[in-house]
Amino acid sequence: MLFISIGSFSQTTTVKGTVVDESGNPLQNATVAAVKNESVKTLTNVEGKFSLNVPVGTKEIVVSFVGYESTQLNVSSAAVKIILKLSTVALNDVVVTTGYGTNTKRNITGAITTLNADNFNRGAFSSPSQLLQGKVAGLNIAKSGDPNINPTVILRGPSTLREGAQEPFYVIDGVPGASLELVAPADIISIDVLKDASSTAIYGARASNGVIMVNTRRGSAGQTHLSYDTYVSVDKVSRKIDMLNGIELREYLAKNGQSLTGSIYDDPGASTDWQKEIMRDGISTNHNIAISGGNKSTIYSGSFNYFKNDGIVKTTSLDRSIIKASVEQKFFDDRFKVGINMTNSITNKYDVFQSFLFNNMLFYMPTVTVRRPNGTLTEDFTRGGYANPVGLIETNKNYTKENSSLIQGYLEANVLKGLTYTARYSIQNKQRTQGIYLNSNSALALQTGGRAYRGTYSSDNKVLESFLNYDKKIGSHNFKLLLGYSWQQDHFNDGFGVQTQGFTNDNLSYNNLFLSNPGTIGNIVFDNPAISTLRLISNYGRLNYSYKSKYLFQASMRNDGSSAFGANNRWGYFPAVSAGWRLSGESFLQNAKWLDDLKFRVGYGVSGNSLGFDAFTSIFRYGAVGRYYSNGQLLTAIGPSQNDNKDLKWESTSVLNVGFDFSMFSGKLTGNIDWYNKQTRDLIWDQYPVSTTQYFVSNITANVGKMKNTGVELTLNSTLVSKSKFSWNSSVNLSTNKNTVLSLSNDKFKLNQIPTAYLGGKGQTGNWSQVVKEGQPLGTFALWNYMGKNAAGTSTFKKADGTIIATQPLTSDFMVAGNAQPKLIYGWNNTFAYSNFDLTVFLRGVYGNKILNNTLAALNNPADSKFNNIPRFTSNEAFTDNVAYLTSDRFLENGSYLRVDNLTLGYNFLNINQNIKKIRIYSTVTNVLTLTKYTGIDPELNIGGLTPGIDNRNYYPKTRTFLLGISLNF
Amino acid sequence: MRKIIVVLLLVIVATSSCRKLDVPVESQYVNGNFPVTAADFSAVIGPLYTQLSSKYCIEYFRMQELSTDEAILPARDGNWDDGGQYRQHHHHTWTKDHSNVKDIWAWGYGGINTCNRLLSLFDASPNSAAKTTALAEVKTMRAFFYFMMLDLYGNIPLVQKFPVTDLPTTAARADVFNFIEAELKSVYPSLPVKTSANAQLYYGKPTRGFAQALLAKLYINAEAYTGKAKYAETVSFCDSVIASNSYALDANFNAVFAPENGPQITETIFAIPYDPLLIPGQQFARFALVPYLCPKYGIPTNMSTAMSTTSNFYSLFNLPNDIRNNTWIIGKQFYFDGSPVWFPTKTKSLDQFYPGVNKDTLWQVEILKDLAMLPGKPFDLGNDIKAQCTGIRSSKFYPDKAIQAATRMGGNDMPVLRLADVFLMKAEAILRGAAATAVGAELQTPVVLVNKIRKRVGTTQVSAITLPEILDERARELSWECWRRNDLIRFGSFEIEYPIPGDVLTMDKRSHLRIFPIPATELALNPKLVQNPNY
Repeated sequence: MLFISIGSFSQTTTVKGTVVDESGNPLQNATVAAVKNESVKTLTNVEGKFSLNVPVGTKEIVVSFVGYESTQLNVSSAAVKIILKLSTVALNDVVVTTGYGTNTKRNITGAITTLNADNFNRGAFSSPSQLLQGKVAGLNIAKSGDPNINPTVILRGPSTLREGAQEPFYVIDGVPGASLELVAPADIISIDVLKDASSTAIYGARASNGVIMVNTRRGSAGQTHLSYDTYVSVDKVSRKIDMLNGIELREYLAKNGQSLTGSIYDDPGASTDWQKEIMRDGISTNHNIAISGGNKSTIYSGSFNYFKNDGIVKTTSLDRSIIKASVEQKFFDDRFKVGINMTNSITNKYDVFQSFLFNNMLFYMPTVTVRRPNGTLTEDFTRGGYANPVGLIETNKNYTKENSSLIQGYLEANVLKGLTYTARYSIQNKQRTQGIYLNSNSALALQTGGRAYRGTYSSDNKVLESFLNYDKKIGSHNFKLLLGYSWQQDHFNDGFGVQTQGFTNDNLSYNNLFLSNPGTIGNIVFDNPAISTLRLISNYGRLNYSYKSKYLFQASMRNDGSSAFGANNRWGYFPAVSAGWRLSGESFLQNAKWLDDLKFRVGYGVSGNSLGFDAFTSIFRYGAVGRYYSNGQLLTAIGPSQNDNKDLKWESTSVLNVGFDFSMFSGKLTGNIDWYNKQTRDLIWDQYPVSTTQYFVSNITANVGKMKNTGVELTLNSTLVSKSKFSWNSSVNLSTNKNTVLSLSNDKFKLNQIPTAYLGGKGQTGNWSQVVKEGQPLGTFALWNYMGKNAAGTSTFKKADGTIIATQPLTSDFMVAGNAQPKLIYGWNNTFAYSNFDLTVFLRGVYGNKILNNTLAALNNPADSKFNNIPRFTSNEAFTDNVAYLTSDRFLENGSYLRVDNLTLGYNFLNINQNIKKIRIYSTVTNVLTLTKYTGIDPELNIGGLTPGIDNRNYYPKTRTFLLGISLNF
Repeated sequence: MRKIIVVLLLVIVATSSCRKLDVPVESQYVNGNFPVTAADFSAVIGPLYTQLSSKYCIEYFRMQELSTDEAILPARDGNWDDGGQYRQHHHHTWTKDHSNVKDIWAWGYGGINTCNRLLSLFDASPNSAAKTTALAEVKTMRAFFYFMMLDLYGNIPLVQKFPVTDLPTTAARADVFNFIEAELKSVYPSLPVKTSANAQLYYGKPTRGFAQALLAKLYINAEAYTGKAKYAETVSFCDSVIASNSYALDANFNAVFAPENGPQITETIFAIPYDPLLIPGQQFARFALVPYLCPKYGIPTNMSTAMSTTSNFYSLFNLPNDIRNNTWIIGKQFYFDGSPVWFPTKTKSLDQFYPGVNKDTLWQVEILKDLAMLPGKPFDLGNDIKAQCTGIRSSKFYPDKAIQAATRMGGNDMPVLRLADVFLMKAEAILRGAAATAVGAELQTPVVLVNKIRKRVGTTQVSAITLPEILDERARELSWECWRRNDLIRFGSFEIEYPIPGDVLTMDKRSHLRIFPIPATELALNPKLVQNPNY
């Protein structure tokens, strides 16, 4: 009985030992715990040594470490040496959130990509989707430089013609459709992207653009956690349009025998760089404090996040505070779990009127000073649309405050063995208040004495989910059954807004509309909000079957009903079926030692797209249609504003997905490859022309068209080097997609093509630049065919009949000229670790798309240099080229790019003392380098919507960010 | 026990009762909550008038005026090229894809379908005197929309009911004529008669006088529309209007078109009211005034330079002391106090072909009469300051001081039919063969009628008058009131071309162009429609 040490009266005994890996390297921070008594535990130190006091009678201890197989061993008196082996199946045991449940990666049969917080992009992000940019095959995320606009996210190619209806569906901690503003990027621990319909069909009518499941940090029993993350970053403009300065412009005019025209203020001999006058370095800061902890019956977590970004345009900024708390308590022998989560987010934004501002930033004459000698801003209001850019910033204020909150309560009851009932109820409330003030000197409110707007709107969403999960194992057969009900009600746009004008001075801005002097009733303008209530009710079920994890099968069905669809089409069925075969479990592959895991999956499902429907999309509706004279007064006329369509329903997407998941060389190489065929039918277009001899509004919204996307996605993750001091992990993802509009007609409504992208421009009002056409992808360009310059230096164009002219052609001379869809999207991430340093280099890019540089076209008017600034490009055009500005395929450029998007160098201090577990210092540079032939500001344009690939005038400048951050874990 | 719990739970989950998808509508008018009250019915007719005002002075005006010598909209260094739509009007080279052809068809039939919808709505309400008047009001407006469609497109579908279940077919022009005639004749007895007491109440709305004047207009064009002359009927309905004593020529010609015009104008039979902010659509000042003159008239300076009249049309304004001559802006410009309108500029900005050195110069703004196109761009005057000031501008619809910089719309109401037009129609009908008639004690011969017009505008009287001279008098009296195309076609002069120096394009003079084509989009949507001949 020599096990008992000298202090035997204390009823504990001490176990000592050293923990090492297979190469003999000590493992620090491995957990050593008493079996059946998890509160008795300790961590190994930097030498891998531990000393644990366990109660007398403890027979075994368990040693565990992330990424390694846990080992149990008997308590003994001598110091033990414990060798831990790398876990090769760790990846496959990763839990994937699948919608109303979880499954392990090993058993899923659909195309799901999971990213953990370690894989996320780093940077000063205001939107969680930026964490994923370039990291998920098939997910095309594009972000313009504007921090106030969310990036556009498209999964597996565009599948709708409606603006704003391309976004994937977000489920945040199980709350479907929760708002992304409620999540601080630092709080997210993993994101699962459900890509194919066999995975997304469980979300029915909202899921055809993909489902992104966001999981935030939860507490766990037995570990308390306190962390503080902070960073500061600087955004610098990385590229802008090169315009002439005042001296160069005068020289250019003199060289061509011209002079400035316009008001006499146009030439006081100055040289002003307007881009420099209104832009600055943007600064962002972020603080995040998170706590979590708990014991075996209670877990809790809380966090507070504060993010502030001062934009690169002077006076713009965004700040957001998010506070989050959650508690979960178990009762009745852990068979009953109740929890509550609360999040509140407050955002304040100050913005400018971008299209006006960026237009003038480029056009405004560089030959004048910002201010006149008497201090007032230099302005020339006789010219429409021409305003001093500094004036636009100083005289206009646009403030928005958004307050969002989400409260969710849930319970989970383990009713019988294997049977769990879950109920969740959440309420999300959003309040948006806006104030706009255009002061008495503003170009946007000429002769009004200042114009003010104040408005406030609130919306709320309630979701109730109630479902049963049943897991049953019979021998080697595993069954999982899900049966559930969901009820959701969204209430939008409850609020009002009013605009008035005529203030005696500007000092109160929009704060007191009572003091305005509008003059006539026409100057008091009320918003016309449409309060709408949308209700969704669903029933759903799913069956998973697995035989020895070798043969897998899943089937699901969801029945969705929405109040937004036409009266004839309220309910729909969304089925999905998929199967998987673990080839590596078969005997014929048992000898392939290099192959750890190989799974073949195939799945087919149908899901719907009901984004963009509100309660009034399908019904006959009256609205205010102007005013009419009646007995001395001007009264509001009320007339039909929309034809009804009782047959209007969701767009429906069916996806066939075939893929392989593999893991080779003891986990050193893993990945998956998927092929998919995505067909969307009942495509909605809201401008189907109808004969006005039959309807009184000349267009109707109807489900008619068909679209197809097919493609291949490949993801490879590899551990190229793994030594004790140095490791190198690399992952690459590639995706191709081919988009084709199959049809725009059915037997009731016919369209051969839809002209879109009415860009305007000098003498080109009413001209379109893209067409949606059967047999072509979305974003197909229809442009005049530029044939170079003639002998006089004038641009020439080829007409439809083949003749070449040096004047403006007609719209009938447009020709199809390429499209905006990329052929290949890729991302390549490399992480190097050398002792405590780590370096991440992330590249991503796009290949094979075209961009219409209409910004340059609109500026390219040499003759206008008498009264507008011109870019350096234009100073090389012949002055007499009087059609140089016409939008044509001359300005259709190759949009391919490769960007070194993220370079992060970090250093970890481990085990500083008893209290501080880790300090990490890191520095990140984003947009380090961009390789592209595109001559515009940046080839990464928002690619969502009906008219992708067009760079037209109001594009926010691109920035490069330098960030320094510290992360402390206690 | 446990099994019972399980069963209960399954029952709860699987049959969860709420499957109700009907949600309340809170802030929109839909069929369940509108129209209900008397004020609702009045508001529900409102869109008819809003529809009328929305395009009458812009797109409708362009079809009826840019296709004639009365108005021209040339390009200026590529500005105002706009796909060629204005030069197509001038040269009569429009196609079935022309944007005005498409939009005005939709505008007209939008109005007609709104009328049909209102008629079916009113039919359902209980009988009353107000209902009879409302039905008559809507039917007259429908007839008016049909008249405009008849005049523009000729062979159009007749749609009389709402909802429209089958696609309508094309009706021949003569059948549409008969329909309009029958409608107006049946409803005008139910329309109110305008008096000085109810002038404001019925301003902007159809009155008995309007229906009768419209019938007169229909009849005088009968020969051009259907081949069957109806000049006696023209005279008869002109007399109904004149004899009613509801209308009298205003002593001040300019007041009829001034920004303050309204129900106090005694000669206007039907007008479309406009307001700079609330009823927008009146854009004469925006399109037809030069920015350099805006300070003189006290309006915002961001007006366009585009539209003017032709020099040969202006040459018709040759009568001495005719107040109508002053509705054109031409020549060197002066402020109201007599001082010149100086504009400081540079010599090459003023004239791009200036041969000397580009230096500062002070130029008195001068509106130049003769248009001359430059080579290079089609139908283009160039855009130096002189080119911007070329083209005689109209101030008949006097620039409105209430114009806002943001919208650039004026408040001058647009007269559609007025007493002066009725006098001239009667004179023309008599010259074409109808018998002269007396109203009251006065035998109204063409000379008598024309002299009423001449006297009012302060110029010489006539002792004899011929048909071509009636056309010229109509030009002087009714310029820019959307009747020129209608007049020229009736007089057979629509195809007369007045070439402009430098214009490389020529007018298409074929006669099928006297009606516009059915829009290509409508033909595609309704295969039962038949395109007009030779399109």
